[in-house]
Amino acid sequence: MSWIAGDLNREQIMARLPAIGEHFQGLRASLYQLAQLPPETVELCRLRLAQLHRSDADFALEEYPLASGKREQLQNWHSATPFSAGERACLELTEVHAMDCGAVTDAQADAVKQHFGEAGLVALLQALGVFDGIIRLGLIWQAAPAGGRQHD
Amino acid sequence: MTSAARVSPPAGNTGNVIRDSALGIVPETLDHYLALNAAIWDAGPLSAAEIELARLRNARHTGCVLCQAVRYDVAVADGLSEDKVQLIRADDPAAGLSERERLMMAFVDQYNLDPAGIPMQLQQDLLAAFRADELLHLSLLVAWFNGSSRCAVALGGMPEEMPRLEISVPR
Repeated sequence: MSWIAGDLNREQIMARLPAIGEHFQGLRASLYQLAQLPPETVELCRLRLAQLHRSDADFALEEYPLASGKREQLQNWHSATPFSAGERACLELTEVHAMDCGAVTDAQADAVKQHFGEAGLVALLQALGVFDGIIRLGLIWQAAPAGGRQHD
Repeated sequence: MTSAARVSPPAGNTGNVIRDSALGIVPETLDHYLALNAAIWDAGPLSAAEIELARLRNARHTGCVLCQAVRYDVAVADGLSEDKVQLIRADDPAAGLSERERLMMAFVDQYNLDPAGIPMQLQQDLLAAFRADELLHLSLLVAWFNGSSRCAVALGGMPEEMPRLEISVPR
């Protein structure tokens, strides 16, 4: 039960201020339609943020399907085999960004650019900002995310 | 903190600070960014001065020098004073603020430091001082400015300090 809006879920709460909430959701949806960054990579970074925030509800969501084994091995992405070099670069930046956005190094940014270009780096940082915000909203409101597709 | 920008902005000058920034090289998100940013200022119940106080408190957390230097002209026109801005730069910004302003700062701090751990007393105080739509507006603007401020910092090129810079809401 959310203290801010009773039994509404996170997305229903956002929809109560539609003039803003709908733009937020539009931006969120656009992050999975980027030319610069594959949607599977975007989803991996969202899920890693959910893990770092200890938001089990966000980790249970499936915004984009992943190849077999990636979700299960995400916590060990450093050493697990299913992850590409580009995905590893994005996941490393995701972890640092989650702890301290000012601590991202030139080398970490360059690693993302090497695989996805400058636009890919910008897109990733936009995505991390939006996902981090949505996860934090759910936590501070104590509101679960809308059902959507749940990972089995 | 890096001294060099990690991304080049798009060529040309549209006069729009978002379109002309590094964000301008991702066309899929650009219109959404602009629309959301404008809606935060135009479409919620909180005043421009209140939005600006929350935005500036948030920028203190993210360490965004640019975000802290900027003042939106609509907030200044709404009565935001530099004395008030100085008050919210304190670690504990209670002195000199109204109860409503103090609670806004507490919400911003909680969002940044421990969103899952919001105390029951703060929940009750916020519910007593704000209408539901005001709390929702506060939440969404903090989420928006926090994410965009984090992006600005991580893109690099942030100076050590900047003078106060008054701008209009980009549209």
